Amino acid sequence: MLEFSVTLTQGGFTLDAALRCDAGVTGLFGPSGSGKSTLLAVLAGLQRPQEGHITLAGETLFDAATGVNWPPHRRRIGVVFQDGRLLPHLGVTANLRFGLSLRATGGPSFEHVVEVLALSGLLSRRVQSLSGGERQRVALGRALLAAPQLLLLDEPLAALDEGMKQQILPFLRRVKEDFKLPMIYVSHAINEILHLTPNLAVMDAGRIIGHGRFSEIIHEDRVLALAHALGLQNVLSLEVVSNDTVLGSTSARHGAQLFLLPLAHLAPGATAHVAVRAENIALALCPAAHTTIQNQLPGVITRITPLANRLLVEIDAGLPLIAEVSARAVSDLALAKGTPVYCLIKANAFAYLGQGA
Amino acid sequence: MLLSLKVATSCLLLVSAPALALGWLLARRQFPGKALVDGLVHLPLVLPPVVPGYLLLLLLGQQGVVGGWLYRTFGMSLAFNWKGAVVASAVMGLPLMVRAVRLSIELIDLRYEQAAATLGAAPWRIFTHVTLPLAWPGVLTGMVLAFTRSLGEFGATITFVGNIAGETQTLPLAIYSATQQPGGEGPALRLACLSLGLALAALLASDVFERRARRRLGLP
Repeated sequence: MLEFSVTLTQGGFTLDAALRCDAGVTGLFGPSGSGKSTLLAVLAGLQRPQEGHITLAGETLFDAATGVNWPPHRRRIGVVFQDGRLLPHLGVTANLRFGLSLRATGGPSFEHVVEVLALSGLLSRRVQSLSGGERQRVALGRALLAAPQLLLLDEPLAALDEGMKQQILPFLRRVKEDFKLPMIYVSHAINEILHLTPNLAVMDAGRIIGHGRFSEIIHEDRVLALAHALGLQNVLSLEVVSNDTVLGSTSARHGAQLFLLPLAHLAPGATAHVAVRAENIALALCPAAHTTIQNQLPGVITRITPLANRLLVEIDAGLPLIAEVSARAVSDLALAKGTPVYCLIKANAFAYLGQGA
Repeated sequence: MLLSLKVATSCLLLVSAPALALGWLLARRQFPGKALVDGLVHLPLVLPPVVPGYLLLLLLGQQGVVGGWLYRTFGMSLAFNWKGAVVASAVMGLPLMVRAVRLSIELIDLRYEQAAATLGAAPWRIFTHVTLPLAWPGVLTGMVLAFTRSLGEFGATITFVGNIAGETQTLPLAIYSATQQPGGEGPALRLACLSLGLALAALLASDVFERRARRRLGLP
């Protein structure tokens, strides 16, 4: 689908990135200043690289060797910017329709986009009166209505507060499922990305240092170190079993593993997306009796990676988990690859993604 | 003085398109000779108005290089008629409008134009649907400046097209003539009041329009 290899040097910074993405969502993850936004600008045609080529759906959009360089308006690459960039002299409806009138054929209908993104209540508003979350929904709808072949999302949630983020995430999921559009989702928050897709490209200092499924590339030291520096989270998709309103908990499962989560009033059978930070998972050699910790998941250590004075312990507990523990604890318990352990996680350590709970 | 209004309105029509183009060019593009273009456009602001008027006479007069050609090919003459007055005040008003347009375009966040491009808008459409509406308050200011400049233009006009009653005698020229005649104080004062009223009306109208435009853009 999308394939590129580009080099751009400006100031003291060099972007030198190559990637092949298939249909579906690819998360582009990396710290601030790693060149993620520059890469998107290059793909969209807003910045011209010195070297390389870009092809999308079999069409060459840029090739430094032959001088091909399609202008942005002909590339059919939609962008949702961090700040929305709604045109201030137009209302919500005119913003949404801006690209609609320019597109050739195909693409979603106005009504469909309005319905999926729940925009009907905003149509008569002025863009200045929108909240941050509403603005991003309109920006998303506007980009979809221009019928792009590829959608680039440049940290669309970064400017929003935590509660607002959780409200927008389900819309992003719906867009992913409804429009079947290849997307590149840029973020420095790994839980946001994993909520949308397990496919990840990791960027650092202008280069893509890893690409593939999160559970696979996380084994690479550089990727792991980076993920850790930015707040390593385990993101789990679990099937809801029941809600216990009296004791205030929701139980969910993954295969045979049962999890106790904070109460969320989700329908049994529904999928709950939850995140738990690596440092909130403790390890024990035997099940702990008489404890307030609700989750004790048996598993086997698959890898231990040192990182400064901490250790990242990867555990196969029916699903991959990463726990962050001190080096001292590992030596005290004589933990090693192959050691059976119990992962202890307080129910409250789980945070729901995208349910606003 | 209908002639003055006719000259000023025509001047506005004549000057708007090139001023928009030049303002956009100077604000958004880098090209060789940019400083020269910038300098030429602004020259009338810093020269004594008589000098551009004289240059126009040399260039566009019936014996001038361009004027002679115009006269031979189209039978059109600019010297010593109201059309010449329009050209003279357009040359004087152009830098004012170009400055205002350039400034307001430079103030527009380039990122809006980029966003429009990613939505499929070609450069010309971006200009008409994004740049121009966003720059509108500044463009309006520039138009008012050019219009009022034309109403008040004296030096270049009198040099290029003279002071012919009913043909090239605009308000300031008429006031000047009146003051040169014995007993002309009354008419001069009346004309001066008229001039004052016209200028004030233009400024007020622009203020109202500009405020409306700014409100639409959500600016303070």
